[in-house]
Amino acid sequence: MCAFCKSILVRTDVDLKKVGQVADLPPDASPLQINTEGVYGNRSFVVVGRIIYQYDQGGWNEWHIVFNDGSDGWLSDAQDEYMISFAKNISVLPLEKDAKLGNSYQWDGIPFTVTSRTDAHYAGVEGELPFEYWDKQDIVFVDLRSHKNDFATLDYSDETPVLYIGKAVDFDDLRLMNTRKFEGW
Amino acid sequence: MPETGPGKTIPSVSVRSLSCPNCGGTVIVRSFGQAVTVVCGGCHSILDAQDPNVQVLQKFKAAVKFEPLIPLGARGKLRGTLYEAIGYQRRQIMVEGVPYSWAEYVLFNPYKGFRYLTEYNGHWNDVAPLRTLPDATPGIWTAPVRYLGQTYKHFQTAEAQTVFVIGEFPWQVRVGEKAAVSDYVSPPRVLSSETTENKEVTWSLGEYMSGVDIWKAFSLSGQPSPPTGVYENQPSPLSATTKAIWKNCALLLIGAVLLFVLNNVISKDKIVYNNTYTFDTNDPGEHSFVTDTFELTGRAVPVKVETRASLNNNWIYINYALINEDTGQTYDFGREVSYYSGYDSDGSWSEGSPHDSVVLPSVPAGHYYLRVEPESDRGHGQISYAVTVTHDHPVAAWFLIALGLLVVPAVLTTWRSINFEHRRWQESDHASSGLSSALSAFSSGDNDD
Amino acid sequence: MIRRLYLIYGLAVLGGLGLAQFRGWTLSPVSQLMVSPKSVRDNPGSYRSVYGYYHHYTGGK
Repeated sequence: MCAFCKSILVRTDVDLKKVGQVADLPPDASPLQINTEGVYGNRSFVVVGRIIYQYDQGGWNEWHIVFNDGSDGWLSDAQDEYMISFAKNISVLPLEKDAKLGNSYQWDGIPFTVTSRTDAHYAGVEGELPFEYWDKQDIVFVDLRSHKNDFATLDYSDETPVLYIGKAVDFDDLRLMNTRKFEGW
Repeated sequence: MPETGPGKTIPSVSVRSLSCPNCGGTVIVRSFGQAVTVVCGGCHSILDAQDPNVQVLQKFKAAVKFEPLIPLGARGKLRGTLYEAIGYQRRQIMVEGVPYSWAEYVLFNPYKGFRYLTEYNGHWNDVAPLRTLPDATPGIWTAPVRYLGQTYKHFQTAEAQTVFVIGEFPWQVRVGEKAAVSDYVSPPRVLSSETTENKEVTWSLGEYMSGVDIWKAFSLSGQPSPPTGVYENQPSPLSATTKAIWKNCALLLIGAVLLFVLNNVISKDKIVYNNTYTFDTNDPGEHSFVTDTFELTGRAVPVKVETRASLNNNWIYINYALINEDTGQTYDFGREVSYYSGYDSDGSWSEGSPHDSVVLPSVPAGHYYLRVEPESDRGHGQISYAVTVTHDHPVAAWFLIALGLLVVPAVLTTWRSINFEHRRWQESDHASSGLSSALSAFSSGDNDD
Repeated sequence: MIRRLYLIYGLAVLGGLGLAQFRGWTLSPVSQLMVSPKSVRDNPGSYRSVYGYYHHYTGGK
């Protein structure tokens, strides 16, 4: 039992393994790793798992994080730009073909505009994740931003899209501990 | 039950080096796998940095080989964070058939990510991509954009084309790739929007930096080349000075007004002699005479002597001498008084004035009298005239001169400031000749922190 | 730097203004200074001006 978070088991013996159609694991450059700890708002969290996605411009990591109150979320790391988001239960979401660049939607009282559409696939998984099935073909992610630091993603892995809403965060604000070391830095 | 905590030490991520599949040269990759593309320094092929087989994505022949001013691998501290220069590209726009190219540097920190430096003609900018959308007017790209409480004015929109690359990039760089770039300025900052061929728009915010600060940050040897011209978001070196000078000017003007008022209050401005005489132009004899004496007291002050003659198309010239009875010191002066008027086809007209006034400087205390000798043409009848002597009369001219002297330098600095802004906007899409554009551009001014 | 110079310059201008007003200076010299003998009081005709005499006028249509 994890003395820190009391509910989720952090399995350090599940190493990073590749999934899907990739020939090999992409180079791993994230400063985060399993067991990295940090702070968001006034809650602490620990990193328990990750998914690596790949697309034509490179890749990014979605780190699965668990807070000390038992709730979980996602810390995404795309070329060292960090975002923390949580799944939101909103009944009416646009279809994938309708979520075009520049379209606006309002969720949680925040106006969002579609800023990018990404065709990605899974490239690797590690650690504890909240779902089992991940061997998908191409997934469409629609990213939205607001005029403040808000961020939203529509995940079109399934027929019904899943909405994640969160905020862009600075590396310093996360107060990360137990990060990876880089040669020469 | 497996325990948590860092059970096994994970080794640090190491710097990779690849073998270029085109020329066999060694290519160093500094960004630990964040780079999407990397350029071979030897043959300039663009390689896929994410593919372990290091595919060649594009080959290009570098017509001119550019040397980055910040060598790749150099590290410098910006905003408290250490960054390493890992990539360099040159992009170019065409304005009225003339190509303008600038340099862009990719900076990397394994924790904080990527930052960029741009350089044009010795002007540098520290640029970071924005993760928040600025407030732009959809469809009208020349409209101002608001971001974090500041308004950015449209400066230029152009198509930027990549013409040279070396090093690593976190995107699929290709020589020849195009993007529509719009710059909005609020000196010392600039908001840039880039629209790539797939219609995605990214915003970034840049802050102006001097070459000296860049050289210091990266500990580069030698001197940076001095900047030429005025750059779009270059802060005006004059605006702060101009504000301060006008503030000082206002205080000094208040001081001048106080001195003027004080002088007017202190000055006695008292009539010490007043009399009327008649001059018979037909009388051929001696016309000179002396007045009674009058006393002037206090310090040496201006004395005003007024002559009022009743003239009608006539003239009179009066030789005056103000003589100190005790010392004999004499102020010798002459005043011409003439007045003509009439009526013709254009209406009534007049020339000259029947009233003359003159001020003598610094007349010390003492007993004085006037020696008066009038002159005119013969046969001009009787001319009566009044002579008035006023003691301690305040001279307003000095105050007006002081006003001018105080205001002129302030106006000059404002003029130089307007000129600077005019030169800035001459480079933009909104360049126009004429003072009106310079004045309207001046209002764009600076946003000082 | 320039602000300081301007302030010093401005204070000098104010000093000049105060001095000119206090000392009773005027802008243009209108008179010639000389010493007259006491005899002028009794005999104004004997006065000799510095200028010489003025016989032509400048006004008129």
